[in-house]
Amino acid sequence: MSEPFEPKIVAFVCTYCTYAGADLAGTSRLKYAPNVRIVRLPCTGRISPMFILKALQKGADGVLVSGCHPGDCHFTHGNYHARRRWMVFRALLDFTGIPPERVMFSWISAAEGSKFADLINSVTEDIRKLGPFDQYQELIKETESPATL
Amino acid sequence: MITQEKYRTTVKELLSNGTIKMAIGYKPGSTPDRRRPLFIRTLEEADQLVLDSTCMTNLSGYLVTEGLLSDEKRVGIFLRPEGIRSINILAAEYQLNVDQIIIFGFDSTGREVRPLQGRNAEDFTALLSEIKENPPVIHKEPLLERIEKMNAKERFDFWQEEFSRCLKCYACRQACPMCYCRRCIVDSNQPQWVNTSSHTLGNFEWNIVRAFHLSGRCVQCGNCDRGCPVNIPLRLINQRMAKEVIDGFDHFAGLSSTQEPVLASFKKDDTETFIL
Amino acid sequence: MAKIGVFICHCGENIAAKVDCTKLAAAMGEHPGVAVSVEYKYFCSDPGQESVKKAIRDNNLSGIVIAACSPRMHEATFRKACAEAGLNPYLCEIANIREQCSWVHTDKDMATAKAADIVRSMVEKVKRNNILQPIEVPVTRRALVIGGGIAGLQAALDIANAGQEVVLVEREPSLGGHMAQLSETFPTLDCSQCIMTPRMVETAQHPNIRLLTYAEIESVDGYIGNFKVRVRMKARYVDMNTCTGCGDCSTKCPVKKISSEFDCGLGKRTAIYTPFAQSVPNMPVIDKANCIYFKNGKCKMCQKSCQINAINFDMQDEFIDLEIGAIVVATGFQIQNTALYGEYGYGKFPDVITGLQFERLASASGPTAGKILRPSDGKEPETVVFIQCAGSRDPSKGVRYCSKICCMYTAKHAMLYAHKMHDGKANIFYMDIRAAGKGYDEFTRRAIEEDEASYIRGRVSKLWLENGKMMVRGVDTLLGKPVTVVADMVVLATAMVPQPNAKEFAKTIGIAYDEYGFYNEAHLKLRPVESSTAGVFLAGACQSPKDIPDSISQASATASKVLALFSKEKLEREPVIAINNEATCAGCWGCVLACPYNAIEKKDIRDRSGKLIKQVAYVNPGLCQGCGTCVTFCRSNSLDLAGFTEKQIFAEVMGL
Ligand SMILES: Cc1cc2nc3c(=O)[nH]c(=O)nc-3n(C[C@H](O)[C@H](O)[C@H](O)COP(=O)(O)OP(=O)(O)OC[C@H]3O[C@@H](n4cnc5c(N)ncnc54)[C@H](O)[C@@H]3O)c2cc1C
Ligand code: SF4
Ligand code: SF4
Ligand code: SF4
Ligand code: SF4
Repeated sequence: MSEPFEPKIVAFVCTYCTYAGADLAGTSRLKYAPNVRIVRLPCTGRISPMFILKALQKGADGVLVSGCHPGDCHFTHGNYHARRRWMVFRALLDFTGIPPERVMFSWISAAEGSKFADLINSVTEDIRKLGPFDQYQELIKETESPATL
Repeated sequence: MITQEKYRTTVKELLSNGTIKMAIGYKPGSTPDRRRPLFIRTLEEADQLVLDSTCMTNLSGYLVTEGLLSDEKRVGIFLRPEGIRSINILAAEYQLNVDQIIIFGFDSTGREVRPLQGRNAEDFTALLSEIKENPPVIHKEPLLERIEKMNAKERFDFWQEEFSRCLKCYACRQACPMCYCRRCIVDSNQPQWVNTSSHTLGNFEWNIVRAFHLSGRCVQCGNCDRGCPVNIPLRLINQRMAKEVIDGFDHFAGLSSTQEPVLASFKKDDTETFIL
Repeated sequence: MAKIGVFICHCGENIAAKVDCTKLAAAMGEHPGVAVSVEYKYFCSDPGQESVKKAIRDNNLSGIVIAACSPRMHEATFRKACAEAGLNPYLCEIANIREQCSWVHTDKDMATAKAADIVRSMVEKVKRNNILQPIEVPVTRRALVIGGGIAGLQAALDIANAGQEVVLVEREPSLGGHMAQLSETFPTLDCSQCIMTPRMVETAQHPNIRLLTYAEIESVDGYIGNFKVRVRMKARYVDMNTCTGCGDCSTKCPVKKISSEFDCGLGKRTAIYTPFAQSVPNMPVIDKANCIYFKNGKCKMCQKSCQINAINFDMQDEFIDLEIGAIVVATGFQIQNTALYGEYGYGKFPDVITGLQFERLASASGPTAGKILRPSDGKEPETVVFIQCAGSRDPSKGVRYCSKICCMYTAKHAMLYAHKMHDGKANIFYMDIRAAGKGYDEFTRRAIEEDEASYIRGRVSKLWLENGKMMVRGVDTLLGKPVTVVADMVVLATAMVPQPNAKEFAKTIGIAYDEYGFYNEAHLKLRPVESSTAGVFLAGACQSPKDIPDSISQASATASKVLALFSKEKLEREPVIAINNEATCAGCWGCVLACPYNAIEKKDIRDRSGKLIKQVAYVNPGLCQGCGTCVTFCRSNSLDLAGFTEKQIFAEVMGL
């Protein structure tokens, strides 16, 4: 029997809401899939589309971007700006062939520890179903091999 | 022909009475269907002006990159509606002062060229609103539709195939009036966000970044398409993005010179159906 | 060369039970640039911290990663330990392997693998950390309070009593705001003037308070601790230094029929006037628009009557420039224009009045000396209808929100009416009775039970005149049928709305406002008295509808914020701020627009001869809060965020 596929997922989160929500999942001892690696940023406003591309380059099968609910941003507006960028960037990825199911966005507040745990589980399951992002891995592999003349 | 003659006269008039210090237009190029930019400073130079349906290039970029406006004098420029839109964007992004720009507007259907009414950017607002409501069918539309119909895998393959040809010559960037930054994020190597080697991954990243930076700013002039030596249909991506910002934020790039940049502004009730 | 120390904490069994710390420490020891990689039971304990400090000194470490609990727990602890060991505290990063790893995973191998990724990416990040110093901003210890209503007075007095300088700016000729207009105040029914006047006098005489009345804010520049404020002193035409406030001038002024703003049009005043008898300062101003001399060059009756020659018709507006460290905005509210409600007949029938007009009628120092008399004929009304929510909670015509005070003051009005007119009948149309507050519900109950106010639940649809009486038609929603009541007088509980110039004024001081023009707090729950601009605080009804106790509480809260700011000569802030590369900035100003704190300015770059070459973005370190929104926007990648730089994040992701 083959091992189940363990996807690699990178999450970019703001420190005031989603990161704190993830901490709450921890202090509440909720259990969730160990596939996600978190990168902490001060605000969703700081989360650049470049980060997502770099996560994919590092071999992520999925990317999650998450921050405070609208109106709750510690910096008042960072997440409103982020929301616009995400919408545009998501459409761009979609149009160029990166399935939207692989790059997801969510609002998770500091109080939503269980939403965090549930979301990580469902995201992991979804990506597991999609399987490894082979097409992208091909691109990466090519880069790592010495350039041909 | 009539339009061309009329405009030659107008340019001469405005040059002689000191309204403008120069005009930017077109002159014959290497082949009959190619045109080159013409910088008219004298009455004689005005006689070289050519205006016909092959005058495609959006000339607005020269205003900024060549520093033509630094002396605060006025410059005339030949522009299609897309070009006028790009003037508005450049003004909205503080790269130029619209009061310094005298617009010689034109458009063409088939081989016929006709002048557009107006001189200052704001004179064209009604025309641009009209274009916003009834966008012209762009010649590559069928391909856009074909791509939209593909599944993700096919789309990915389609674009990788296209991008694999990219030479990272940055001719597209050079040609685009919106790409006025002295340094672009792809040139920054601390860190190296975009792979510089000409692997498809780097090409893909470069083209994604380019398209993202042009989202809500591209005016569909086609300078990039025409500039690309390996014929990557770059404008299609920008076109798709233009649709996104229209549908999502009712933002038609370059509608006016006071428009807020779409990605530097927001509405509290922007759509967010995609957010979990 | 990087020399990074990795310290893996067991947290007792909390981490060690699920993460193989020994294996992890060994693996990290192999990672390029790691000089030390050790594990320990409790690094946060004293001996734990000592061991970190020792390792830093012994190995001359260039940065450390503490793999332990969340940075939200102990980042401060370990940064301090770094500083004590002579390492810049910002060269310390925390790898969260407890809350986000050992506590949430069950499989030890997987958890260990994840912990390794987390620590590795933090090592890669910390290699690129820069030495940072907390930002120091000098603080001018002088507060500006804008608005001399009860909120402004309270803030000014609290700050001044703590020994700090205050400048209080009021645009009217006198202090007092709305509270000075009130008769008696809920829920205790003490006389408003009696509790207000002593505060006004105390403010005017306070050695630490500089009072500028009849003055407006012209401009505000600068930032927290360092504002530059220009105040326009409107020409009063009366010399404040010599005037004794005798009032001879007003007595002689021939223009006597100007409707008094203070009495809401129910009383009259002269062209040279003090708004009310207890005005502070008690010195008149000339109302230029109504003065005969200013209109046609003849009169000067007041000047002739003034024995000490304090009147000067040549006076001009003057400007005062102030250096200010903190600003309290207490500009209050106004009541909504009730003419919007044609069905209530305001403006059409003289005996339909607003709640504020009722206050003037009920006030002992008011135009009727405290008697409730109809404006039309001066008779005592035998029945009064009060209409609550005349504008509030009405998205179609009025405002969506609840004005919060109307239920209470309507109950108060009914009581005052009953106390003054024993046979009078008060009918109150209401939607709900909202009386949350200390002693508030008891107060409304008293109006019903002791003073026999009759409450009718429902909205009024129509008001008309029939045989000289006003008829008020509404629906009693409890009975489910229409009712019509007769009224000698109708009192509208109009909505509390922002000052008419609230939005423009917000732009002058650079603070945010909501759709109505009420000023936005930095955080509705956690920072309700701070505006979104550092160093600017909000008190009273300018932020949202409030009664007196709430206004005062908030005012005192702003005072404590101001005093905390003034407690040091310099302000220290986390150095997480944006920085711009002026060489590459294209001057597109997208960042300027995107910044939630207006922290980015346009800076001129000039050549040696002073010629302007270009303009670039400049991040004001005093204002930047470090969100990084601008960094992400910048297409030329010119902006960066200290503590979360592009290089750091790139390395962190690549380290995963
Ligand atoms: C009819 C009625 C009855 C009420 N009854 C009661 C009651 O019984 N009990 C109770 O607790 N509350 C009552 N209230 C509420 C009470 O009036 C308010 O809570 C209180 O006045 C708010 O104080 P404030 O200082 O915030 O605003 P205000 O009283 O409005 O004071 C604001 C001050 O700022 C000044 N100002 C405005 N803009 C500027 C500017 N740009 N520059 C300089 N100065 C400026 C104004 O001139 C004014 O002096 C009643 C309100 C109404 C309308
Ligand atoms: S992206 Fe291409 S089509 Fe769009 S404005 Fe630039 S050059 Fe023109
Ligand atoms: S012009 Fe074409 S080949 Fe050159 S960088 Fe742009 S997309 Fe690539
Ligand atoms: S967004 Fe970037 S390029 Fe534009 S003004 Fe700001 S720093 Fe300069
Ligand atoms: S980091 Fe945030 S607060 Fe600071 S300048 Fe940039 S956008 Fe403004």
